[in-house]
Amino acid sequence: MEMLLMGACLSVFGLAVACLAFGAATRTPEQTAAAPAALKKEVVKEAVKVAAPARFFVDPPALPMAARTRVPIEALLLQIENHIRLEHAAAECFLESPDASLLHSRTISPLVN
Amino acid sequence: MVNADLLKGLAKDEAAAVLGLGKRMVLNTGAELFRLGDAADSIYLVTRGRLRLTLPMQVYSRQEDVLVEERATGQTVGWSALIPPYRYTLTATAALDTEAIGLRRDALKDYFAAHPGTGYVVSLNLSTVIGQRLQLFQAMWLREVQRMVEMRCA
Repeated sequence: MEMLLMGACLSVFGLAVACLAFGAATRTPEQTAAAPAALKKEVVKEAVKVAAPARFFVDPPALPMAARTRVPIEALLLQIENHIRLEHAAAECFLESPDASLLHSRTISPLVN
Repeated sequence: MVNADLLKGLAKDEAAAVLGLGKRMVLNTGAELFRLGDAADSIYLVTRGRLRLTLPMQVYSRQEDVLVEERATGQTVGWSALIPPYRYTLTATAALDTEAIGLRRDALKDYFAAHPGTGYVVSLNLSTVIGQRLQLFQAMWLREVQRMVEMRCA
């Protein structure tokens, strides 16, 4: 009788181990990652809290993108003038000895490079 | 000045007679000789200094005069004075202290009517000046279009 009970207990234990193994094998990656991701979020939040710059009084004004990338007008006008001089010279070279390669020669003008 | 591009091929006395029709003008740096759209009644020979020829361009919503060409000693500007509708198509400004001789259209026409040989040579010279400008800007224009095509195909 004791032997029978022991066998039954071992069978139930074996079945439980098999169920756990089956569950682990059939779990999706999202489910697997969910817990560590939640953990990560918490860690990042903490890091952001620590790394955020100190702010005094107000935030700096947000400039529009065009203003941030804009070349000063004087510099742009000089670039245009320089470009026209270079193009003029290139066209004169072409006219001195007309040739397709001279017509399509590359320019070093910063306006188009 | 007899070697000016407009007077090439003329005898010295013929060139001097043509120049004698003109009026000497002195321009300080930055002074305007003529402006885009003005009535064009004189053609100019640059005798000293340099002229900037500009066209208006919209830059950052502002109109700016942008250099198109420069003319130096011996070169001609303002040939719109001889071509209908007799309006300047550029603005000419002295890049530095400059002198020019202004030749009025009506004075030239009268003189050439009386001296057709001189008129013929000057007309040929003028067509050379205009033709060279046309070829130059044709080449410049094609280079710009070529760049646009390359950008489009990139």
